Formats: sequence, C-alpha cells, structure tokens
Amino acid sequence: MTYMWALYAREVKRFRKLLLDTIFSPIVSMVLYLAVFGVVTANKSIGDISFLAFIYTGLLGMILVNSGFSNPGFALIIAKNLGAIVDLQVTPIKSWQIGIAYALAALTRGVFTLCLAVLLTIWFIPGIHLYHPLMLIAVVVISGLQYGMLGVVFGMWARGFEALTFVTTFVLQPMIFLAGVFYPITNLPAPWNTISAFNPVHHTINLFRYSFIGYTDTPLAVSWAFVLTVSVIFFVLMNWMCIKKLNEPVQ
Amino acid sequence: MQAALRVDKASKTYRSSNRQPFKAVNQVSLEIQSGQIYGLLGPNGAGKSTLIGMISGAAKPDPETGAIEIFGHSVINDREAAKRLLGIVPQEIVVEPAFTVEEVLYYFSGMYGVPSRERGPRIKAALDSLGLLDKLNEKARTLSGGMKRRLMIAKAILHQPKLLILDEPTAGVDVALRQRIWELVRELNRSGTTIIFTTHYLEEAEQLCESMTVINKGQVIKQGRVRDIQQEFSQNLISFELFDRDVEHLPGVRAIGTMFEYVYSDLSVDMSRILAHYSGNIKTIHNESASLEKVFLELTEGKA
Repeated sequence: MTYMWALYAREVKRFRKLLLDTIFSPIVSMVLYLAVFGVVTANKSIGDISFLAFIYTGLLGMILVNSGFSNPGFALIIAKNLGAIVDLQVTPIKSWQIGIAYALAALTRGVFTLCLAVLLTIWFIPGIHLYHPLMLIAVVVISGLQYGMLGVVFGMWARGFEALTFVTTFVLQPMIFLAGVFYPITNLPAPWNTISAFNPVHHTINLFRYSFIGYTDTPLAVSWAFVLTVSVIFFVLMNWMCIKKLNEPVQ
Repeated sequence: MQAALRVDKASKTYRSSNRQPFKAVNQVSLEIQSGQIYGLLGPNGAGKSTLIGMISGAAKPDPETGAIEIFGHSVINDREAAKRLLGIVPQEIVVEPAFTVEEVLYYFSGMYGVPSRERGPRIKAALDSLGLLDKLNEKARTLSGGMKRRLMIAKAILHQPKLLILDEPTAGVDVALRQRIWELVRELNRSGTTIIFTTHYLEEAEQLCESMTVINKGQVIKQGRVRDIQQEFSQNLISFELFDRDVEHLPGVRAIGTMFEYVYSDLSVDMSRILAHYSGNIKTIHNESASLEKVFLELTEGKA
C-alpha cells in the first residue's frame, strides 16, 4: 500500500503547489455567485430556509463536485502531455489503486477547499447551522471520491485539454446547473424536473444540503441509493479505463 | 542460473488510423542471464522501444505472445511482482515541472514501495553518484538536458532493481557525462544488477555489453555474444584504403565509407591479388576485425 499512498501524497503535493488555481479560484467563483444572488434574493426564502442559505449549500456542493472532477482530470492530462504518464505504467501499482490514489487526492482537495470556503464565507449567511454533521462527513467523503473517480475516467480517456474541457463545459456544467444548486428541482418545468431527478449530481447536492441545513427536495433514501449506485458504477468504469489506458503507449 | 529476462515469441500489433494492422514487434524471443550487460540494438523504428514497453508494462503484448518474464515473474500475469524487480530509464526525458529534484525522487521511489525513512539516504546517494547532489532542492524543470537525463537514471535506480533497462540513456549527453554513465552502469552491474542497454552509439554496445540482440523491422536478426558476432563478420574480410578511388575495381570489391572491402576465400592468395591489382595505389590494407558499427549496418541493411 506504500505504493498507492506515495502516489496519493504526490498528487496532494501537486495541488498544494498550485493553491491559487486549485483552492482559491473556486472560492472566488463561489463568493461572486453569493454576492450576486445575495443582492437579488435578499429576504426571499424556501419554506423555513433563506434562499441565500439554500444557494450557499448548493454552491458548496458544487465546489466538491468540481474539485473532485478537475483534480485528477487535469493532472492526468498534464501527465500525458509531459509523457509522465509512463511513471504510472511502469511502477508496481495496481490499476484500481492508481485510480483510487487520484480520487483520494481529489477528495482531499475538495475537503480542503470546502473547509476554507466555509471558514471564509459562513459568517455572511444568516441563521445557518450544521444540521447533521455525521451525514455531512459521509456525503463529503463519498461524493468527493465519486467525482474524483469520474475525473480519473475522463482524465484517462481524454487525449488532450480540449477533450476534457469539452466534457467539463458540455457535460459536467449542465449536470451541475440541473442539479438544483440554485433552485429546488421541483420548481422546474417538465421534462427538466424529470431529467434532474435522474441527475447524479442532484442527489449529491440534495444529501449535502440536507446534512447542512436540513432541507431536501428529493427523498433521502432515493438520493442515497443513487449516490451509492453511481459510486459503484464510477469505480467499475474507473478501473476498466485505468487498465485499458495504462496498458497502451500514450499517443 | 535463473534468467533475468525471458521473452518468448513476443508480438505487438498496432492499428494505424486506416485500421491497417502494423506489427511493431514480431515473434521476438530472447533470454538474458542474470548479471549481464546486454545490448539491444536496432535502427530507428526497429521495435526496440515497443519491446521495452512490453517488458515494462507500458504496452500490452498481443495474446499470442508466449511469455515475458522478469526473474521468473510474468509481466502479463504477475505484473506487480515483475515491475518491482525492474527499473527503467525511458528514452524520452520526462520531468514534473512542479516538483524539485528531491520531490520527484521521493514520490517516485515511494511508488516502488521504498519506505519513507529510507528514501532520503538513497536519494542523496544516487544523486551523489550522478553528480547532482547540489541540485537536490532545485526545480527539476530548471535542470539542463544532461542533468535531466541523470535525474531519469536516479529515478530508475532508487528502488534497487535487479533488472535495469536503459533506453538510449546517453542520447544528447556530452562525452564526459557519457563516460560517467558508462562507469555507473558498470558499477551497478558489479553490484549485481542485470542491465539492458539500447543505444545508437555502437561503440557503447561494444564497450559495455557482453551479448546483444539486433532487431530490425520488429524481428530479431542477430543474437549472441558481441565478440562472437564481430568475429563472425570479420572472418573473411580484407579492408583497404586507396589514394585514388576512381579506378577499375576487382570483382567483389565494395566501397564502405572511405574504405573498400573484399570477402576472401584464401587470405594469402586474395591479398596477393589485391596488392597486384591496386599496387602503388594502396594507402592501407589489413585483415581487420569488424567493428560493431559495420556489423550493425550489414545486419540492418540486409547484407548479412
């Protein structure tokens, strides 16, 4: 296991060296969203929850998903461009361990960014409290790993930055925007509400928001079932992609 | 004695963009005994790097491949155990731009299972032997080409592999560094590491290797002890140089660079014939030992 942890430590070191891009950039984006929505939605609420707290928790969930996906995705593309992917091919680490090491580093970055974002911004959100801390930890760990594994899948698959940026822009971002980050999905017209109900990011955001402020717009059991099933699917996909791509010379 | 590397009928087929199959390595077999410095020679595109890729795990062999084993461990079925015994210096210089020299080596050796407490001393020892100790805390990207090459070697030896593959490690380095790398290779070999060396500098193979395999167009075209191969190619050869090259030549005489060669059947008779034919035009003449370079050219150009 030393092997896998060394790779994990290297990937953590990598994002720590690029704090401005990896940690502060998503926090700045979040603060800008909050500033805009804070003005627009002042005094609005969804049930007992202020709209700002609703968006705030959605944005935190978005950070987790984005960080999870970007960290391994771009690290692997850089490694391919440099030729450093050969390090993964020749070292005696099993394919799934390579994927998990990258996913764990993604989770670490997600947690780090999340903690910093909460620390810097929670003071501006009135009446917010932590509703279910243990569940929050479980959701953060599972979701961070889940999107880390998805990042590994696309990082291994993509031949260059363009392909990965394409996935981020045309797949991940629409999924995030249809996940109920900025509004309850029940407010959406058909067929978007149905599409959102099958969107795995929605269930991550839903669980995250519930454990943070106690609000849910989809039954928790459904969201847990989705998150756990999708995590297993992403793991299988990740392992398959790692075996396939690490066994061939990088083009 | 156990073979350090056994390759049995290894093949690798690529499909080009028009889906035409291309066999980069075709039924290559070789066996390298433990403790050797072994040369792997071949022109560009011969299939050397693909073969090394298959040995190191960077390229999956075709299903019909018989076996590829490192000290008895199959790289196909027992990958991790086989990889632990192998160190590889790839042809391409690859450095992580974000990391210092120490960080590159620290994490990479960890990925080979070197315990963290042992990494520091091993890194310092390796860098010291390669003359890079003073660069320990510098960003790897700021090193010169030769230094990066040495860093690649340091990466490959930190986990103390039993089999080390160096894929053209002296390409683009100056003469002094080349000598230093040769010395390091000999030193590693003396300490028990089996070494496979691919190179375009044939004098290197001549200087370092006991045995070699020559590959061309994905196939083995010659295999054996370097000295035997040289002898085989020098058995019936008279080599001579002329003052005036534009003369009528004896049948069977061929030009090789500035020299001319003649394959003889009886040394004294044929030597007399050449001396009589060219008489005062001969600058030098001898019955020479073939250089590896000549053997290589003959083999890869299909004259053997």
